[in-house]
Amino acid sequence: MKTNYQSPQQFYRQRRLRMLIVLLILIGIYVGSMLLVKFQTWNSIVKIPAGLIWLFHNFIPTERSISYLGPILYQLWRTLLVSISSTIVASIFALMAAILGAKTTTPHRSVSLVIRFGASLLRNIPVVAWAMILLFSFKQSDFTGFLALFFMTLGYLTRAFTETIEDLDAEKIQALQAVGANYFQCVFCGVLPEAASTLTSWVLYMIENNLRDATLVGLLTGTGVGFLFDTYFKSFRYDAAGLIVLLIAILVILLELTSTQIRRAIA
Amino acid sequence: MLKVIQLDKTYGSNKHSLKAVNFTAQPGEVTAIIGPSGAGKTTILRSINQLIRDDSGQILLDDQDIRQANKGELRKIRHHIGMIFQNYNLINPLTALENVLHGRLGAKSTVAGMLGLYSDDEKSEALALLDEVGLKEYAYQRCDQLSGGQQQRVGIARALMQHPKMILCDEPIASLDPKSTKIVMDILRKLAREKQLIILINLHQVDIALEYADHIVGINSGAIVFEGPTDEVNDGVLQKIYRQADQPGAVVTANEN
Ligand SMILES: Nc1ncnc2c1ncn2[C@@H]1O[C@H](COP(=O)(O)OP(=O)(O)OP(=O)(O)O)[C@@H](O)[C@H]1O
Ligand SMILES: [Mg+2]
Repeated sequence: MKTNYQSPQQFYRQRRLRMLIVLLILIGIYVGSMLLVKFQTWNSIVKIPAGLIWLFHNFIPTERSISYLGPILYQLWRTLLVSISSTIVASIFALMAAILGAKTTTPHRSVSLVIRFGASLLRNIPVVAWAMILLFSFKQSDFTGFLALFFMTLGYLTRAFTETIEDLDAEKIQALQAVGANYFQCVFCGVLPEAASTLTSWVLYMIENNLRDATLVGLLTGTGVGFLFDTYFKSFRYDAAGLIVLLIAILVILLELTSTQIRRAIA
Repeated sequence: MLKVIQLDKTYGSNKHSLKAVNFTAQPGEVTAIIGPSGAGKTTILRSINQLIRDDSGQILLDDQDIRQANKGELRKIRHHIGMIFQNYNLINPLTALENVLHGRLGAKSTVAGMLGLYSDDEKSEALALLDEVGLKEYAYQRCDQLSGGQQQRVGIARALMQHPKMILCDEPIASLDPKSTKIVMDILRKLAREKQLIILINLHQVDIALEYADHIVGINSGAIVFEGPTDEVNDGVLQKIYRQADQPGAVVTANEN
């Protein structure tokens, strides 16, 4: 890129030109891909209001839906438990992996490489694919859902934790080495306290995320609130299905509010 | 007594950062290392407690060569060498008291250190040390809620918790205002006098070095260009120390930083 311009005017003219080109490219990509999938923007937009009206008409819970509240809340509770437990168990393993894998705390470079590769592998298999693979061995059960979420979360958190540890100020850890602390003491007295609040934030974020994913996984594993949604949906009880969506949204929001509070308390 | 003999350090393949460095520092005295930025002051200090491994030479602390120590011996040696830093380097979310107790890690078993199992005596001593640096009422405060000057004093208390023979200070006052500077420097001088410690300080501020140090080591481009008692430092000496390597004769004013 050119670094010396003849005048500020020229600099701004060139920059505007570059932004225009980027914009044209983006529009080009959009139009190109729309043509490829034969998606007609205008026709689809026109259909949106009618679609929404149909949705509202059918999915709004009515008094009749209240009778479904019991089973829905029960399944919602189970789904919440699966997402929390899978996240917690995964975060314990992820923490150990991250300490071994972070460049600043790894016992050896090769260990770090293996862990990074493994985490990337786990992370890049979509959670739905995990569920389908695991269905073969563990059949339709809560445990299958738990494992699917566990593997994906393990990959994700290992990476997040590794980066958190690597971002810590290395001098603070050296200061502990300088007093004569050994490896484990440096990790427990320095790395973990310094990283604790960021690590906790990641865990809370993953619990929120896994609640959403758990409903999806439940569709496949035949468990939890996802499965209930599927049942109601396929038997045309749209109002009950709508109630489920509403309750999931409320729960996710509550979870977010709680974790914001916790984050603030430990910051 | 600390005796550094023919210390050489090369970073990478060709960066010759320390060239046959020789100097001594006596217990009971404040020794200041001064020199322009990039001269090698930090490299010397970190070589002494082997945070960076030097290439050759000897570092004798009370006649024991630190460079020859194995891993376990090094841990014991480090336990008796305090270190304080420009950025304080405390563990932020922990309280002042916990940070001071970290000074015991070098003497504790791995598990006791990891889990923070300190004896009652150790806890009382930590509190007494915080009192000594004037921070008793901040003992249970998180360190990131303390001012820079207060954090540096916690750093000093952590070093004292090590029962040190020597304290290494890498620009301990570079981030402090004049009032905190005076408090910290007064404490360091008092420690040299009263506890007969070796106090070795890297300084950018020549006026502070001249005011507080008993012994001055001047370094330029990795080589010692002056060593002697503070009253032997004059303008000629300062010009020699702060001369820029690539412009022979060019003089940077001594208190530029
Ligand atoms: N990790 C490193 N890798 C390569 N070169 C380094 C490294 N650390 C320091 N150096 C080089 O060694 C020389 C001495 O650096 P050092 O940090 O000891 O200087 P200093 O006197 O402490 O400077 P300042 O006053 O700016 O802190 C410098 O030229 C620096 O570029
Ligand atoms: Mg330095």
